[in-house]
Amino acid sequence: MPKRPKASPAKPETDPTQAFLRGAKAALTSVQGLVLFASYIGYGGLCASLGFPLAAAVLSTALIIALPSQLLLVTGFAAGSAALGIALAVFLSAARLLPSVVTLLPYLRTRLWIQLLAAHFVAVSIWVESRRMLPPLPPASRVPFYFGLALTFNTASVLATWAGYVLSGNLPPSFAVGLGFLTPMSFIIALVRNARDLVDYLSLVFGLALAPVFVWLNAPVDLLWVGLFGGGAAWFIHRQRKARAA
Amino acid sequence: MNELMHSGLAPYLLIILAGFLPTDVWRWAAVVAGRKLEEDSDLMTFIRGVANAMVAGVIMRLVLFPSGDLLAIPLFLRAGSVIVAFAVYFLSKRSMLAGVIAGEAVLIAGAYFTVPH
Repeated sequence: MPKRPKASPAKPETDPTQAFLRGAKAALTSVQGLVLFASYIGYGGLCASLGFPLAAAVLSTALIIALPSQLLLVTGFAAGSAALGIALAVFLSAARLLPSVVTLLPYLRTRLWIQLLAAHFVAVSIWVESRRMLPPLPPASRVPFYFGLALTFNTASVLATWAGYVLSGNLPPSFAVGLGFLTPMSFIIALVRNARDLVDYLSLVFGLALAPVFVWLNAPVDLLWVGLFGGGAAWFIHRQRKARAA
Repeated sequence: MNELMHSGLAPYLLIILAGFLPTDVWRWAAVVAGRKLEEDSDLMTFIRGVANAMVAGVIMRLVLFPSGDLLAIPLFLRAGSVIVAFAVYFLSKRSMLAGVIAGEAVLIAGAYFTVPH
């Protein structure tokens, strides 16, 4: 399709401050951002119902910025799991952030330390929005735009964690319980929604099935085994199927 | 170290050592060395499987063996609300919002009659 001159922006947006503010504005008007905000309200509520301290709940969002990592952390803490086991579980689950960062790097061409800082903010929501919003921008605007987007998402998530936590303490008990279950409920549906290949569906089913087994076996760091065995088996079957199909 | 882990500082140490660092290691590794990895390579598929299974596992554990205030809700309600959320999600042509709202409605209504208040 031939490029229409109309599509080019009315004024050149190379001013970094302008680009940063546009990124912030894009974050505030994004549907993905709204979902993120709701998720972190749920996370705040979950932390409250698990007895995780408020300041720690807020700090975890400010610093970790990855809901699966945070979920593993607070549930592990509440279950009294060993710190090393929690760290390993978080480490394994966060591996999926690696390809997300790699696919964004072509749009974040800048100095190494700024790239490292930018990578710190990469999670599912920021990835989805950046993949959509960064490519059409002039290359010079992408990095400031990204930081406007990322910092706004992060600030909103921190506020939502705090709000969810405080809200939980002021709600009638039945609603507080509902709030505490919002994150697990939306996560499990999101896993199904985001599933693309056989490995995604199988690992979901195996994870659900193996979790009680390893808890009943009283295995130390049970989730680690659930991940390795469940995910490993799903991967193996997926691979066999693919090899046979090829 | 052990004493530290049992003090009031434990959650904060945990956030830095068991949350922030093991998560950011991957983000930084991606910047430094990740350019060659393909999304559909064997290793990445394996990683996806492990991560999925662990998130599914942590949710199953919250449903079956919760802690804190969530213990107050009976098991059939915890499990039932998730099953309803799933059913409505599929019946509503895969609307996540509809699924979550339906599951939450069942849970809150059920909790209203079973949790002391």
